[in-house]
Amino acid sequence: MALTPPSRIPLPLPGFENIKRGWHTSYEAIAARLLPGEYFVTQNDEAIYTTLGSCISACIRDRVSGIGGMNHFMLPVSASSSSWKAADNSASTRYGNYAMEHLINDILKNGGKRQNLEAKIFGGGRIIANMTDVGMRNIAFARDYLETEGLKITSEDVGDEFPRLVVYFPVSGKVRVKRLRSLHANTIVEMETKYLSTIGEKPVSGDIELF
Amino acid sequence: MVTNMKPTIVELVHGVDGLVTLPAVFIRINQLIENPDSTVDDIAKAVNLDPSFTVRLLRVANSSFYGFVSSIDTVSKAVSVIGTSQIRNLALSTAIASTFAGLPNTLVSMENFWRHSIYCALAARKLAKLAGKCDPDALFTAGLLHDIGELIIFNRLPVEAKEALLLVLDSADEVAIYQAEQQVIGFDHAQVGGELARQWKLPAMLEECIAYHHDIQSSKRYSRETALVHIANILALMAEVQTLELSDVAPIDPVAWEITGLSDANVIDVTVQETQAEFAEAEKLFLGKGQ
Repeated sequence: MALTPPSRIPLPLPGFENIKRGWHTSYEAIAARLLPGEYFVTQNDEAIYTTLGSCISACIRDRVSGIGGMNHFMLPVSASSSSWKAADNSASTRYGNYAMEHLINDILKNGGKRQNLEAKIFGGGRIIANMTDVGMRNIAFARDYLETEGLKITSEDVGDEFPRLVVYFPVSGKVRVKRLRSLHANTIVEMETKYLSTIGEKPVSGDIELF
Repeated sequence: MVTNMKPTIVELVHGVDGLVTLPAVFIRINQLIENPDSTVDDIAKAVNLDPSFTVRLLRVANSSFYGFVSSIDTVSKAVSVIGTSQIRNLALSTAIASTFAGLPNTLVSMENFWRHSIYCALAARKLAKLAGKCDPDALFTAGLLHDIGELIIFNRLPVEAKEALLLVLDSADEVAIYQAEQQVIGFDHAQVGGELARQWKLPAMLEECIAYHHDIQSSKRYSRETALVHIANILALMAEVQTLELSDVAPIDPVAWEITGLSDANVIDVTVQETQAEFAEAEKLFLGKGQ
C-alpha cells in the first residue's frame, strides 16, 4: 500500500516544481497530486490525480505528441455576477479563465499543437444536499470555455451527487474516474472552501499572454 | 521529556461514557432475555414503558420487513411473532441513531454516516439469508453498528481523524480509512467500536462483527457472521456509489467467500440491487425519516 519511491523522479517542466509527485504502485506510474487551484502539465508518461467535489478539472492533451495536463478550479460565487460565460471575464469567471488559459498555454508553450488538442472534463458535483448548485455553474463555464476555444470535449463525467477521484494519463489520454463514498464529502468541501477563500482575497493579475 | 498524549482504545471509549448511553429500554429487555424465567408478557411490559420504542416496534413489525399478513396491533403480539431475540435487535437498532446524535462531529454528516450503515445492514441481512446458518435479523443489527467506532473517533480525535481522511485522499484512495487511522492514531474505528460493544456488554456476535469487519481472520467464535459483515460493508459502498464493478470499491478479502460459502459471481449484483431498492423504507423505519 505504501508508496515506493522510484530511484529517480523525472524533473517536472519549469514552473511545476511545487506540485507534489510520488510513485503510485497501483498505477505503476509517477503521479502528481493536484489540490484545488493548482494545475500541472507534463510530457512524461505519468499520472495526474485530484479529488473533486463541486470543483471542476479539465484534462487537456495533444493527442499526437502526448503532452498534456490537468487543472482544478471553481468559479467564486460573486454577489455582482452570477454569470458563467467565459467571454464576460467578470469577477466570477476570471478565475476560470485564468485556470483554463494557463493550462492550455503551458501545453502549447511546451510543444503542443492547438489543432491536436482534446479535452475531458470532470467534477461539478452537488455533494452536499441543500447547497446551491455551484457545481452546475462550473460545468457550464468549462463547456462554454472549451466551445469558445474550439476544443472538443471527448469525454466527461460531471454533476451528480458524488465526490470524485480523477486520475489522468496525458500520454495515453486515459482517465480513471472513481466515485468516492460520502465519508469524504466534508473533507473535500472543506478543501474547496479554503481554496475559494484564498481566491476571494487576492486579485488575479490581468495579463495572460495568449498563444 | 516526550509524553505520549494519544489515548488508548479503552480510555477513548471510557471518555464517551455519559455522552452516549444505551437506552434504558434496551438494558431492561436485554436483562429479561438473558433470564430464562422471563415470559413474553414480562418483555412486552418492559417495551410498553417506552412509548417511542413501542411505536417504532409496531411500525417495523407491520412493515414489509416481516410481511405478516394480519396486522400486529399489540406489543405482546409483536413479541410473540417476532421473537424475543429479534426484539433485542430492534431495540438496539431503533435507538442507536438517536443515542449517537449526542456525539456530533464535523467530519461526516450523520445523514451520510447512517446511509452507509443502513446499506450495510440491508446487505448483511440479505447475505445472511443467502448463506444460511445464521440469523438475518441479527446480521442487520451488526451491519447497522459496524462503523459505530467512527463516530467516537470523529468526536474525540477530530484532528487525527481529519489527518487520516486526508491521507486516504492523498493516496488516491489506495489506503483505506482503517489503515490510515492505524497509521495516524495507532488503532482504527473497528477496534474502537469493538471496545464500545464490550463495555456495553452487547452480544458477543455483535462485538466480533464490529471489531473484526476489516480483519476477519481475527474473529473467533463468529467468523461466519464477521465475514458476512465484511462483504456487506463493501457491497454497501457499491450500493452507495451506484456501481456493480468490484474494482470501483475496496477489495473483499477472498477468505470471506470461503468462510461463508458464498460466491462472488452469484450474490453481488442481486444484493447490491435489492439493497438499493430497500433503502428508502429502511431509512424511514430506523432513522424515523418522513414521519
